[in-house]
Amino acid sequence: MKQETVAKPAPKSSAARTVVMPRGLRSYACRNLPEVLAPLAGAVLWEVLGWSLDLQWLPPFSKVLEALVQFVGSGVILANLRSSLQALIIGFCLSLILGLFLGSLMGRYRYVEKAFDIYVHALFVCPSIVFAPIFFAIFGLSDAARIAIIVVYAMFVIVINTATAIRTVDPSLVEMARSFGCGEAQIFSRILLPASLPLVFAGIRLGMGRAVKGMINGEMLIAFVGLGALAEKYGAQFDAAKVFAIAMVVLIIGLVSNALVQMLDNRLTRWAD
Amino acid sequence: MRDNGGGVLALSDIDFEVHDNEFVTIIGPSGCGKTTLLRIIAGLIPYNRGEVAIDGRAITGPGPERAVVFQNFALMPWADVLANVTFGLEVRGTPLDECRDKAKDLIKIVGLEGFEKRLPKELSGGMQQRVGLARALAVNPRILLMDEPFGALDEQTRRLLQEQLLRLWEEQRKTVVFVTHSMDEAVMLGDRVMLMTPRPGRVKEMIDVPLQRPRSPQVEKSGAFVEIKEYLWENLRAMQVGES
Repeated sequence: MKQETVAKPAPKSSAARTVVMPRGLRSYACRNLPEVLAPLAGAVLWEVLGWSLDLQWLPPFSKVLEALVQFVGSGVILANLRSSLQALIIGFCLSLILGLFLGSLMGRYRYVEKAFDIYVHALFVCPSIVFAPIFFAIFGLSDAARIAIIVVYAMFVIVINTATAIRTVDPSLVEMARSFGCGEAQIFSRILLPASLPLVFAGIRLGMGRAVKGMINGEMLIAFVGLGALAEKYGAQFDAAKVFAIAMVVLIIGLVSNALVQMLDNRLTRWAD
Repeated sequence: MRDNGGGVLALSDIDFEVHDNEFVTIIGPSGCGKTTLLRIIAGLIPYNRGEVAIDGRAITGPGPERAVVFQNFALMPWADVLANVTFGLEVRGTPLDECRDKAKDLIKIVGLEGFEKRLPKELSGGMQQRVGLARALAVNPRILLMDEPFGALDEQTRRLLQEQLLRLWEEQRKTVVFVTHSMDEAVMLGDRVMLMTPRPGRVKEMIDVPLQRPRSPQVEKSGAFVEIKEYLWENLRAMQVGES
């Protein structure tokens, strides 16, 4: 089969590549040996198990890559990726705005915290996917339903972290600001906001991961578009290689979005290292 | 003086006056409410009986004529030395370049020139409190309120900062209220020492310190210094023994 001829040399060529890596990459690889070796070893193991076990649900890694290449080549991924990412970005930004706003109020004002705490924790603990049918009923097969799912997935962890971050800001800094005549707005912008940033970012990172989950789950369950719909479709056909290929795309989205948040975090909270 | 909303009576029978350009130190056993008293004067906590006034006007909150130096420095860990010193000026709406100029002057005065871009965590405790002092002085307050400012420092650093504060005070002659638990410090710095009793804190006595200004570390050897210090210790000791 054509597929096999393409697939078999794959692990070999990746091994060959490590030998002829450019110098910069090589020194990076030496410094971060476990990080480099772990995914390589995983891929090799996957490949070996895939071929030797010959299970329907475990296609060799090379076949997954092949399916991925096909997806990208045919444009299927790109069209669905755009749709998914759009929902992800809107949903995540909404979660961020709502989460930071509610979290700040809860962290700063005891009575707001007391009023909302039970809801926030209940919704945080509750498997967010149970809301899918409700959002489907409200919004129908629209983007709004998908976005709403992403928001319930991502928002509450941001709320909880932001509230904790604001509440645990060193009270002597707030007192210092008050002694210089700062009002509530200045205390917020000049003390609470910068001081809480490291912990807030931890929440944003968690929220980002949950938003990606919410995106896929929402698409699989209610709105039959985007990457989730693709996964659902090939899952129903028991085409494991294609399902894994989509999972790889999701993985990449997750890693890239996490790296973006991390980059911003490093930039803004270097003082806390 | 302060009933703490039905809670503990922290202070009572506090009746004293601080004159312009006077340096008053407050000492008392721990928990006597000396820090509470300072925070009331700073306008940071409300009091529900009695009156605290500056020039006859009751204190209702923080004001531009007062600035506080905090025991734990209260520096913003994300901001460099310059940004920490300009804080008070900035929040009061001073134009940015004026903030910088004034801050740079004060950084120089407290001896931190060249450290403008450092973060607080990169400085020693003594240097951090010099930033705190510069920040308070930057807003040019008439009254400087100092809450055990050198209490968190080791003895050598503390003595150096005391000497520096004395020199600064000679030049600027601000009104200072200085809370401390060190008897040496109380006598060394103050024109008068206010001795407080344990909770509820009361003014036990206002003690004049007839040591000449400008003071050098040598005054510690003078008879008057030793005498006042011993008198303070007698009283404080009696209070502590009574407590425990």
